[in-house]
Amino acid sequence: MLNHHRAEHLLSAYLDGELPPQEAAAVQEHLLDCAGCRETYERLRGTKGLLGQLPLAEPPADLWPVLLEPAAGGPDPGDPGGRPARGRGLRFARIPRPRRWPALLRRPAWAIAAALAVLLLAAVPLVKGTVDRLHATEIGVDLYVREHAIQMSREPLADRAYLDLVATDADLVLVGETSRAGEGGR
Amino acid sequence: MARPDAMRAASYTPEELARYEALVQRYGRHVYNIAYRMTGNEADARDLSQEAFLRVYRALRRVEPGAPLESWLYRIVSNLYIDLLRKRPRHRVESLDVPLETPRGELARELPDVAANPEAIFEREQIDGTIQQALGTLSEELRMVAVLSDVEGFSYEEIATILHVPLGTVKSRLHRARQILQDRLRPYLEARRRGWEA
Repeated sequence: MLNHHRAEHLLSAYLDGELPPQEAAAVQEHLLDCAGCRETYERLRGTKGLLGQLPLAEPPADLWPVLLEPAAGGPDPGDPGGRPARGRGLRFARIPRPRRWPALLRRPAWAIAAALAVLLLAAVPLVKGTVDRLHATEIGVDLYVREHAIQMSREPLADRAYLDLVATDADLVLVGETSRAGEGGR
Repeated sequence: MARPDAMRAASYTPEELARYEALVQRYGRHVYNIAYRMTGNEADARDLSQEAFLRVYRALRRVEPGAPLESWLYRIVSNLYIDLLRKRPRHRVESLDVPLETPRGELARELPDVAANPEAIFEREQIDGTIQQALGTLSEELRMVAVLSDVEGFSYEEIATILHVPLGTVKSRLHRARQILQDRLRPYLEARRRGWEA
């Protein structure tokens, strides 16, 4: 004999004809005795009936060409990432595939090391260039002063003694020459 | 360089393409119907159907001609539906008898007054809308079983295959789904019963 709770639980399966014959017979017997279960059974049957009356939702007419599209001009079957060329994008396709390089960026240590290397490569020539340029400027001015002094020596009214002093100044450095300052030859 | 058409022809034969088209013709409506009843809206149903058939297209060669495709195809649809739900914020389950909260205060939901206008409830569209709404209040697990069983008419065994769950789970979920639905649809059930008795 089936108890009430168990019988109630089996009512849907009984309604659908999904119970083994013995269990179905037991539920049927319980239904004869139990008004509550008969009421529940009727409501379950009505619910199933209402859902079964729902018409087949008709696909919009413009969906058919979209469904047929893969065969009519869509992706190559060998291309798993392929998408139909036309039609609106799928919601499932909206997540872009990750490219390879962001994997490196996901490791902070590698990212910091790479950034430092780039910084170093850029900074070394920059610093060296600046030092060289400053040095060249210094020599350039000295050369100009000496050449100007020699040039002036050809002028008739120039103070030759002063010009000699300037042209032979040991503190003036020529390109490729080391400074003779402090050698005591003046 | 080969033309795209020629490349495609080399991948799928005209017979295979014709087979794909036949599958769309045969199952398209049911795939869309299941998708629509599960999601409750056209835009999502379209997307699910399109993605499901794209998968069929890609796997066409692995599908034996003449093999029953229904379980496989509807499993694709239900898996896609679950994927769709995972990608979105969880659906809020709404009870029809709880007032709707709006910025201008609470608003009672307008449910058809069965006693005042019994004829109105038999208007087809209204009933469909209310049943769809009631389906929407079920959890996705219960909704899928209810749709496959009571809307599409699959057996418990077929549903167990489609959803990859034990037979007993189908049985209990369906019973639970119908219990909730019968509460939601009570006015319609009573009117229907009165209609039978009259």
